[in-house]
Amino acid sequence: MAKYILKRIGASLFTLIIILSVVFILLRQMPIEGYFDNFDKLDQAVIDARLQQMGLKAPILTQMQRFFTGLLQGNLGVSARYSVGAPIADIIAQKAPLSIQMGVLSMTLAVALGIPLGGAMARSKSRFWDRFGTAFIVFVNAIPAAVYYIFIQSYGSSALGISMLFDRSRAISWVLPVLSMSLGNIAYYAMWLRRYMLDELNKDYVQLARAKGVTSRNITMGHVFRNAFVPMIQYIPTSLLYTVGGSIYIESLYSIPGMGGLLVDVISRQDNPMVQAIVMIYSSVGIVGMLLGDVLMVFLDPRITFARKEGVR
Amino acid sequence: MRLFGKKARWTEDAVTDAVRNLEIPESELFEFAKSDPDLAEKTGFSRYSYWGSTLSVFFKNKGTVALLLALVILVAFTFIQPLLPGQYEATRIINHPITGLQLSNIQPSLSSVVITAPAGTELVITPWENGQWAAVSNVISTIRARSEFTVTGFMGDWVEASFNGQTGFVRNDFTTNLKLPDEPEAVPYPSRANFPVKLHLSPQDLTNRGDELFVKKDSLKIRGDGITAQLAVEADLRILPTEAPFLFGTNIAGQDLWSMVWSGTRTSLFIGFVVALVEAAAGIFVGVVWGYIRRLDRIMTEIYNVIDNIPTTIVLILVAYIMRPGISTLIFAMSITGWVSMARFIRNQIVIIRDRDYNLASRCLGTGTLRIITRNLLPYLVSVIMLRMALAIPGAIGSEVFITYIGLGLPVSVPSLGNLITVGRKLVSTSQSYQLIFPTIVLSIVTVSFYIIGNAFADSADPKNHV
Repeated sequence: MAKYILKRIGASLFTLIIILSVVFILLRQMPIEGYFDNFDKLDQAVIDARLQQMGLKAPILTQMQRFFTGLLQGNLGVSARYSVGAPIADIIAQKAPLSIQMGVLSMTLAVALGIPLGGAMARSKSRFWDRFGTAFIVFVNAIPAAVYYIFIQSYGSSALGISMLFDRSRAISWVLPVLSMSLGNIAYYAMWLRRYMLDELNKDYVQLARAKGVTSRNITMGHVFRNAFVPMIQYIPTSLLYTVGGSIYIESLYSIPGMGGLLVDVISRQDNPMVQAIVMIYSSVGIVGMLLGDVLMVFLDPRITFARKEGVR
Repeated sequence: MRLFGKKARWTEDAVTDAVRNLEIPESELFEFAKSDPDLAEKTGFSRYSYWGSTLSVFFKNKGTVALLLALVILVAFTFIQPLLPGQYEATRIINHPITGLQLSNIQPSLSSVVITAPAGTELVITPWENGQWAAVSNVISTIRARSEFTVTGFMGDWVEASFNGQTGFVRNDFTTNLKLPDEPEAVPYPSRANFPVKLHLSPQDLTNRGDELFVKKDSLKIRGDGITAQLAVEADLRILPTEAPFLFGTNIAGQDLWSMVWSGTRTSLFIGFVVALVEAAAGIFVGVVWGYIRRLDRIMTEIYNVIDNIPTTIVLILVAYIMRPGISTLIFAMSITGWVSMARFIRNQIVIIRDRDYNLASRCLGTGTLRIITRNLLPYLVSVIMLRMALAIPGAIGSEVFITYIGLGLPVSVPSLGNLITVGRKLVSTSQSYQLIFPTIVLSIVTVSFYIIGNAFADSADPKNHV
């Protein structure tokens, strides 16, 4: 297993380089007018000078070499358009913690509520919890997040008697954003756990256990839940790590100075160094998350193997 | 069992007698048994077919079938709606025929009638011709801002006024904000407003926010002066010279929201179907190969990491830059980014079941890879794939909402649920919130139907629920 993990990490580094190169090349295909706010009014000399200054005039391989050299020295570069001249590391160090805190809180809430809800739904098929959970899942899935977020914000803030905007120092103003962010995930966890548990409950080993006289509680917790949780555990590290990205809707609604929407923002403003830096962070996080997910899956279900066995195929 | 002797003869006679007494021909005494799968099952014979059973279990659930029917009707209606009589075109900006102003933000209503006026109502006619319709209002003239007029009677919301030798009524509320003395009942006195105000023929507003209304000519008695008229019978004063209502109101540009919503639903469903199909086809194929063929796992994982980590926004912006924004561009952009998550989902499922004992046994018996995939693995996954597919359609619509939100969606000239909701979001706490509510309701119905149908289908696709 350790060998497998090391190999995966080695391969991931290689993948990361490919991702960055692909994004790097894609970014260089963006229209030139996107680099300027008032392209039509500028004359060619000014445009050339600005492009030169941003280092976009050099051949693409030279640009790439510059970027990777900087990266190896631990230098993410400076922002070109978003906040001109500011070191990217500083911008991210300022924004990321808030998004991570909020994301981890909402993930915790989602797992703490979603998993028990899914379990209760599977155990009480077509009784109260199943009905309640189905109604909740249908509701959350049916109404677009962009819409129910607004309602939660406007009604929630008047019910709690707080301002609509986020205030980091007041604990109560964390409630609504965290709750809004977790609703979708609660529904997601509950829905899939129920599906997997029901699939599992129909299996023969459950009937055998029941015939042996194992209590229903032990069957659900000890056998069914563990098996049903395997396909879900894959996603948990990734979602936990991706909280660094923040939520674009929530953060713009409550004006939270986090990472949400930063990537979209810098892409549409064509701040190439920022895009590259953020893509690097997100993809490292994604790759690590996937690796962790696979490892967790093997730990939870020893029948799954990734290490190649001779003669298997 | 066979009966012997006397008893047998006795029984035989009794039966023969009974038959003879009944006078039924022998051919009618027996009938062919109908084929009954349940009874056949008991004898050990099985005509079990997986898809047949799946469908029969699915169709046993009346609620789901009703929902499926509702969804089919809804989809059909998006195509039928433009063909119905009295519909506005989805993208047509509706102008007032006389002023040329856009009829923006008109509240939803079941008819185009603004006011039903009783017989005898005095009206002013505006010279305008269109078949059987006449343009009317009860505005005699407009008093310019800060012009003085004389108030000759006070009745709360309205005052009686005379201006330039004409007498009429002026509205007295926050919209006109008339300058009145401390004791407004002590008439007459001069007054004025800081805005242009209208002098009405009667103490009520028979206009649509100052513009003319329309009424059938045959209900009018036009006077000799050609300007004033009286209603001969009770008549409906309409917002436009047509009976077609704005069921869902109009938006700020003066487009009919009812047509926009249906046209948008059609567009969004089309996008959703195509994207979900591409996602399923590409995702299942790649996912199975990735999950089952162990040698490919590592390289496929890395390819997945590359594709998954290139931000969708970059791809969308580049696609929008290279191709013309439109439905096909959006479908292309969503398809090339959407299938990877489906592939990963299938891969994870395959990884979980590929080494189960039955597959091991199957491999030992020399079953080919293709057969294992199509016979051992995929049928096992039908229920989860179906649920995922059912969610992919509303999911694609949802991501269209998101793409529109970040400003890369369809142009405004192509209505879709995405751009309707994005526009409506800004109006949530205003009186125009209907512009958010109607598209959201339709989207919710579509999503709920797909979700419930998908779940029911996933349940019926599980062979354990078949017998």
